Amino acid sequence: MLPQITPADAAAALAEVETARTAMRRAVRAHRGHYHLWIWGGIWIVMPLSVTLWGEEAARFFGWICAAGWVASMIVGATQCRQIRSSDAGRFSAPLVVVLAFGAIYPFVLRAQPDFRHLYAYIGLVFMQWYVIAGLWMDSYLLWLGLAVTVLILVGLFVFPGIFWLWMAVFGGGSLVLTGFYVRHFWR
Amino acid sequence: MPELDVIIHQPVRLRIMAALTSLGPREQVDFGYLREKLGLTDGNLGSHLRALEDAGYVVVEKTFVERRPKTFLTVSPAGRKAFGTHVAALQAIIKPG
Repeated sequence: MLPQITPADAAAALAEVETARTAMRRAVRAHRGHYHLWIWGGIWIVMPLSVTLWGEEAARFFGWICAAGWVASMIVGATQCRQIRSSDAGRFSAPLVVVLAFGAIYPFVLRAQPDFRHLYAYIGLVFMQWYVIAGLWMDSYLLWLGLAVTVLILVGLFVFPGIFWLWMAVFGGGSLVLTGFYVRHFWR
Repeated sequence: MPELDVIIHQPVRLRIMAALTSLGPREQVDFGYLREKLGLTDGNLGSHLRALEDAGYVVVEKTFVERRPKTFLTVSPAGRKAFGTHVAALQAIIKPG
């Protein structure tokens, strides 16, 4: 049996609700994908910028840079899952495996031998395809980010080929980093 | 008119429900992390969670992560509905009619 609740009691209870909700929303926001966007945005800035500065020779370090990115992403993911976990994790990572597997097959089927610039754009588009699929299933910011960066990659490749690498550093990596800040501070 | 829920109305349980309903339907929070966010003790959070679990409002899942026991919590659909009704009842008291 509840005691008589006055409007003041009700207002105090609602204030408590709002405080708890704010604390948890802040915690949830801290578990969104912004760390991953910062990690990969940084990598997407460093890689094309290194080509701009040192030429295609810089590409021999890309494997190591990406490996470091994967390790960092896995550490972040494992740490976050200990606090707030989501059953969407499988829905997020399974399409990545599928998209990467098919993305790796296509060039062989087409017997394509793209130059380095087209290959870099192709790999970027494969990852953006994953963002779009994940965005359709989960957080819609991934959908819009995937579509926007896809357009930016194509524009850089076909409209501004002369400044492609700088374009990719600024608009490819920059888009990921800025979206990370947006997700961290404003999303949901 | 929506009615207040006697189980949820207790202040600590109200805060627990408010926090848990802020998660998405597919998200679960670790017991220790929720305790830290709400500034509660182990015993306090545990006893109120038991009451909420008995009412069918909270789902408690015990598991192992890296061979360490972990408890993850989420709100049930019934709990989400009951909490919504309770908040509506509180709002109705402030603004009757």
